[in-house]
Formats: sequence, structure tokens, C-alpha cells
Amino acid sequence: MNQAESILSLRDVEKTFAGHCAVDGVSLDVARGEVVAVIGPSGSGKSTMLRCINLLEVPDRGTITVDGTDLDTSGTVSARDLTQLRRRVGMVFQSFNLFPHMTVLRNISLPQERVLGRSRDEADRRSMELLERVGLQQKADAYPAKCSGGQQQRVAIARALALDPEIMLFDEPTSALDPELGLEVLAVMRQLADTGMTMIVVTHEIHFAATVADRLIVMADGRILEQGPPQQVLDDPQHARTRTFLSAIKDR
Amino acid sequence: MKSAIFSDWAEWLPRLLDGLWVSVQVTGLSLIIGLAAGLLLALAAFARTRLLTWPAILLVEIGRGMPALVMLQLVYFGLPSVGLTLETYAAVVLALSLTTAAYTSEIIRAGLRAVPDGELEAADALGMSRGDVMRFVVIPQGLRIALPTLLGFAILIFQISSLAFSLGLPELLSQAYSIGAATFRYLDVLTLAGLLYLAVTIPAGWLVARFERRLSRHLTT
Repeated sequence: MNQAESILSLRDVEKTFAGHCAVDGVSLDVARGEVVAVIGPSGSGKSTMLRCINLLEVPDRGTITVDGTDLDTSGTVSARDLTQLRRRVGMVFQSFNLFPHMTVLRNISLPQERVLGRSRDEADRRSMELLERVGLQQKADAYPAKCSGGQQQRVAIARALALDPEIMLFDEPTSALDPELGLEVLAVMRQLADTGMTMIVVTHEIHFAATVADRLIVMADGRILEQGPPQQVLDDPQHARTRTFLSAIKDR
Repeated sequence: MKSAIFSDWAEWLPRLLDGLWVSVQVTGLSLIIGLAAGLLLALAAFARTRLLTWPAILLVEIGRGMPALVMLQLVYFGLPSVGLTLETYAAVVLALSLTTAAYTSEIIRAGLRAVPDGELEAADALGMSRGDVMRFVVIPQGLRIALPTLLGFAILIFQISSLAFSLGLPELLSQAYSIGAATFRYLDVLTLAGLLYLAVTIPAGWLVARFERRLSRHLTT
């Protein structure tokens, strides 16, 4: 891939937990507007890699470059760099993680006010726009507990989008949901991909990976095992390990 | 005989009510000062820097480990030898505030810790500052979680305020004791004093229990 057009680069990123190497020297370039799906058995380091990108986990070694700004993670990362990075990278979690004591609208507006310095009116207007986009404007004044899991996840997506990120990270966004509720979340993600958002999606949804992603990455033991256009990786996997994993999820 | 008790009770009651008012006052003041200090200690113990964490934890452990009676004696009789002499009232409020701070900081800290990590991660990922995360996410929820326990402690510190009797503060127990000393009717007057304590603690306990039920009803939706 052409270096110049890549919006995100990881170079030799490494993260060890108590002697176990979760991410073992991963390098990755993502182009602007590209949708990358990451699959792999649990414990393969895919979530940790994702969490290294916005420094929820600080890698032990390696460089992270977002849109031309390098962050060498072996030293200490300054609070300013961290804020800069996180403003540009949005994240959606498996467990939604909405703030339960705030209404849906406050969940989306508060970060805009505190992080981007938007006025309450401005933030609320943007929030309503996004709620409409994810089909939940009628839930603006509800508390998260009054929303289904799928609705909560769509609100979480809106909350991340409200900060106008350049890259969106999804950490198994549908794994905690019933298949039906997962579909409404996937529909929102598909729509987001169509708008040209750069996305990295850790998922077990092989159909989503096959139809929406531009590239499929298979991880195992903290490394990228293989990658390529989804159909190619799915139809003609190069590694025995990939074949075992794929047959395990396809044949269920 | 029976009517004599009640006529005596009626005679003692105004003095005892004065005492009760003093007990309520020192309890209220100690709670206001102690809770504010308790919140600060809890935040210090919750902080990421050891420079703040360790002194806070040390203070809390000392405050919780020391019996309230010892704290009262120490403040009233001990502090003058380092140049700080307090009136009885002030000494009682200070000592009870210290005890309140130590206990409530643990209660509040437990509440803050009960806020799910995932929410803190989400706030971090959104780029919110550490201060904002505490102010908007952790403290409002943590205090709500801690509230029933804090109210229970408030009832306890009201009972503990009777220890101020040992410093001669004219609170409820002191008043009862001095009436007893004058009339030798200890049983009668202490029973009345006990009933007055109960008249405050039992309804307060009911209110706390009701409040707790209402709170958990909201959580389970």
C-alpha cells in the first residue's frame, strides 16, 4: 500500500501482560476510507491491538502514526498527545459503556462540550443529527437502561461520531447482542462505511467482514497471520491455522 | 408511683430536649465537615499518584482504627500540650469530624470503585480529561451508590456523639447524667434519655431503608 495515503500506521507494536506477549510486533497500514475487519481466535491479541491504537493499552514498544503525527510509545506519552490522538480516533466497545446516569442526549452531548468546547446548543444539535442517523431520535430523553442493547450500541456509535473522528475502532460491537439486535448495529456500521469512514472492526461477524470490509486480517498468537481482500482470505486461506479457525466459525 | 414518674419526666424533658438539640447540632456539624473531608480523602486515595494515595490511606487507617472516645480525649486533653486549646464544643466537633472523615472516606471510596471500569475506559477513549471523568462520571455515580451507607453512618455518629459526655459537653447524655446525680433517679432519667435517642434513630433508620429501596428500584428498571 502507498505510504502517503495511509491515515494510520502501526510499526512493530508490542504489548506484554505479565510475561504473556499479547501483541507481538504488529505492523499495519490503513488507508483513508478503508474498512479493515480483524478476526481470529480469542486470545489472539486482536482486541489488545485495537486498544493499543488509541492507547487504552500503552504498548511496550512501537510507533503509532495517525494522519502524519508519530507517537513513539516506548517513552511516556504526554497528556496533550494523548488528547490529540483520542480526538481523532473514536472507539465503540463490546459492552457499550454508556453513562447510565445521563440521558441518551447527555451521553452524546457532554463529551462534545468538554472535549471540543462546543456550546450546549451546538452539541445538542449535532447529537440530534446523529441520533436521527442511527434511527433513535425518539430516544433522546431516555436513560440507557430503557434502551435495548442494540439501541445502546447505536447510541455509543453516535457518541463516538459526535467528536468527528477520522478513524473509528470497533471492539466486537455485536458480541454482547442477540443476533437480531446485532443486525441493526451492523446496518449502522455498514452505512458508516458507505460514508467513507476509516474503520477497524474486530469481529466474529464473518458475513459483515465479507461484504463490508475492504480487507480482512487474521490474527493468531499476537501476530497478523494473513491478510487480503475478504473473499480471497475466506475462500483460499494460506495458513492451516486460518483454515481451522474459519471452518470453526463457518460451520456453526 | 407511675404518675410520679411521668410528672418527673415532664419536668426533666425541657433540659433533656436542650441536650438533644446540642447532640443534633454537633452531629450535624461533624457530618458537614467530616463528609467534605471524607470526600477529599476518598479522591486522594483514588488518585493515580502514590504521593496522594499513601498519606490519605494512612490517615484513614489511623482515623478508623482509633476509638471515637480516644479521638475525643486526644483532641480535648492532648492538643493543648502542642499549643492548641479548644473549647469543649469545638473539640467535640473536631474529633467527631475526624472520625466521620475517616469512615466516610472508605464508604465513598467503595462507591467510587463500584463505577464500572468500562465507563471510565469509554470516557478515556472519548478524550475526556481525568478531572472531567471524575466530575461527570465517577463522583455522581459513586456518591449515589454510597448514599444509603453514608446515611446509615450518619445515624451511627449521632449515637457516638453521646461519648462527648466524657468531656462535659451539655448534650443529651450529660444532661440525663446530671439530673440523675441530683435526684438519684438514674434508671428513670436514663430510660427517658434512651427513648429520646430512639425517637431520632428509629425513624431515621426507616427513612434510610425506604430511600434505599427507592434507589435500587431505579437501578433494576
